[in-house]
Amino acid sequence: MSEFKKFDQKNWVATNLNYKKDSGNWAWILHRITGIALIAYLFMHILSLSPLSQGRAAFNEFISHYTTPFFMVLEWLLFAFVLFHSLNGIRIVVVDWADGARYHKALYRYSIVIGVVMFFAMGYVMFSHEINKLFR
Amino acid sequence: MYKHKNTQGSGSFSWVFQRVTGLILVVVMIGHYILMHYTPESGHTYDAVLARMQSNWYRVLDLTFIVLGMYHGLNGVWGIFRDYKLKSWQTITIISLLLVFGLAFTLWGIKTVLDIPYVQTSTSGLIGK
Repeated sequence: MSEFKKFDQKNWVATNLNYKKDSGNWAWILHRITGIALIAYLFMHILSLSPLSQGRAAFNEFISHYTTPFFMVLEWLLFAFVLFHSLNGIRIVVVDWADGARYHKALYRYSIVIGVVMFFAMGYVMFSHEINKLFR
Repeated sequence: MYKHKNTQGSGSFSWVFQRVTGLILVVVMIGHYILMHYTPESGHTYDAVLARMQSNWYRVLDLTFIVLGMYHGLNGVWGIFRDYKLKSWQTITIISLLLVFGLAFTLWGIKTVLDIPYVQTSTSGLIGK
């Protein structure tokens, strides 16, 4: 029994960083990170849309800070988080309820490909004015 | 010897509901993204929101989004904490904080949606200018 490596609680960061990771491990880690980011964003979203109660002028003043290029890029990156969490969430449901455990690695690859394509498609939609200016 | 163990109280309901709400949120999220990013301008001004909110369906959709999103998110956070061995005072503290902040922000979001006035005429389209 001695060959079993015991989990060292004091070194949990190093332990988590060092074990060999396959696609499923990465999916689990990234699902957590994106999930925490998204719930944090939902709180921020409710906070930042609350000026809607104060009428047109107050809201348009407030929202003008968030339509700058910097925040548009952040918004695009947010979509990456949404995409990963959505696609991997669907993968989890398929694994749990549709025998997806047999092909979860393929599902992971497909979801990454679909996600990357959708990410750049959304980038085109969000920045279409800027892109059109470039190729005028 | 195989023993049957009752799953009641073990969190099996929240496990199922996390998947159900997740799938609903994916569908609602697709609608939300089409609405907000159909063109670079759509959805981001007060007038666009006002025009949209004249329909009670959009209000119900947004309220569903807030409630389900909050539930799914906070249940997910609690799921992360459940991976660790917690003392009972830690469990009580974490659940209380999640409940208090979750309820406060959910109610705040609901209030924001319901505060948007109904106006008589609307010539602007659904997607907005």
